Amino acid sequence: MLSKKELVSKSVEELAPLIEKREVSSLELTEAVLEHAEKLNGEINAYVSFRRKKALEEAEKADAEIASGNYRGMYHGIPMAIKDNIYVKDEVTTMSSKIHRDFVSDYDATAVKKMREAGIVLTGKLNMHEYAWGITNNSPHFGPVKNPWNLKKAPGGSSGGSGAAVVADMTVATLGTDTAGSIRIPSSACGIVGLKPTHGLVSKYGVYPLAWTLDHIGPMTKTVKDAAGLLEVLAGFDKNDPTSVNVSVEKYTEQVKGDVKGLVIGIEEDFFFNRVDATVEKLVRDAIQQLADLGAKVEPVKIPALKYAEYAELVTSLSEASAIHHRDLLARPDDFGDDIRMLFELGELFTAVDYLQAQQLRRQLKQDFEKAFAHIDVLIAPTLPIVMPDIGDDLVDLNGEKVDLVENTIRFTGPANLTGLPALSVPCGFKGDMPVGLQIIGPAFKEGTLLNVGYAIEQTNPLKGKKPEILVSN
Amino acid sequence: MKKLSVRELLENQGIKIPPHLDEIERRWEGIQSLKQEINDANLDDADLAIRNIPGGDHVE
Repeated sequence: MLSKKELVSKSVEELAPLIEKREVSSLELTEAVLEHAEKLNGEINAYVSFRRKKALEEAEKADAEIASGNYRGMYHGIPMAIKDNIYVKDEVTTMSSKIHRDFVSDYDATAVKKMREAGIVLTGKLNMHEYAWGITNNSPHFGPVKNPWNLKKAPGGSSGGSGAAVVADMTVATLGTDTAGSIRIPSSACGIVGLKPTHGLVSKYGVYPLAWTLDHIGPMTKTVKDAAGLLEVLAGFDKNDPTSVNVSVEKYTEQVKGDVKGLVIGIEEDFFFNRVDATVEKLVRDAIQQLADLGAKVEPVKIPALKYAEYAELVTSLSEASAIHHRDLLARPDDFGDDIRMLFELGELFTAVDYLQAQQLRRQLKQDFEKAFAHIDVLIAPTLPIVMPDIGDDLVDLNGEKVDLVENTIRFTGPANLTGLPALSVPCGFKGDMPVGLQIIGPAFKEGTLLNVGYAIEQTNPLKGKKPEILVSN
Repeated sequence: MKKLSVRELLENQGIKIPPHLDEIERRWEGIQSLKQEINDANLDDADLAIRNIPGGDHVE
């Protein structure tokens, strides 16, 4: 018999066979997760709202289905909280904002519909940076999310509540959204797995937009196999999302074997290894060497248009976000947090020519990546060039120099949003008490390859089985 | 033609001038520096690749 503490600490891949064989019920797991999350939330502030009563009802329903022989798959009966910009029918979705504090959607997001079809139990909604437009999760309306590894530190964002909740065992897995890195940044900072899928593979219908052409929704999980399983739940064509792509959904879990022999890993030095924290750089290069030791080949590549990426990302994201919030910016600017209000104002300054040229640059970047992927299978880079600073800091240390936090947090994650290419962040070690992640970028719709490489890294046990101290003492 | 200041650009859009105008000006300057980087990009005939699909969003 597992204790509640043991139960909540397990991954989906560990729990699924126990639930399928009815050695653990969804109800006892859900109750344990809720109890643990409610206890820790005062300190971590990962949840915006709990769905205790509804979650327990959903768990009972899952147990009844499984008992009657209708086991739906790996995620059946698994309790999950999701980021609070994903709509749940007839329930409040706040975007961690003041303006949408009482917003109720009259429909489920496609991702939520698919979660229900998979038999997932929804435990609550998770805190985030206001409207997903930032990377600190220091919300003026719902309070800061704290990084479970060090409660003084930011968890990264904008899916910071999601990252913190997974690593603190407050949810078994979760969904994040990613416009400039918002899945991968908190995944790296919290020491979990985060996958931004190819643009169009997972429907974003029913997710409050930040910047339409850059937005993605994807899994944030304890393990790579959990991410593969959740992607199988989420992926698929949706006519309600105009950017949805009609491709077949693969069995990603079957591609996660960790065999990287003969695989070609690309290293782009000029952009992705320029101005990187020395410890982060060493950890990423060590992980690449471990893959080489397992039989992968490592090749240098050039992607010249990366030098335009930061500009194109800023113009595109700032312009699109400001278009979405333009009316509220005119009518009620004081209802936004100061940081995002400033970004919306900045986005009003661009011309149509600026925006259109940024789209031309994006196409050049896509073409350069395509050329690189003719010679390599995946590209590996640091997820972040820095390690998250204290909550409230706008500057961050980069090899002894204080640099702008926002600019340096999205510098390496933005290109995968501009190109729409899939990118997976997996842990690769620690700097002090803070985890460090690396990202694996691949060709469009090659999530299976990324997950397989991520799994090979995971097998090297980069976090050495460590857990945040708050879990040891609670 | 006179180059408009950040304050004037915001006023033209009908936006109330915020207390953090200095910060916007600083960030705008940074973006303009990045813009210099694109001067060597060959954009003359680069198609935008924004698709207009007659008949609906998903007609193949």
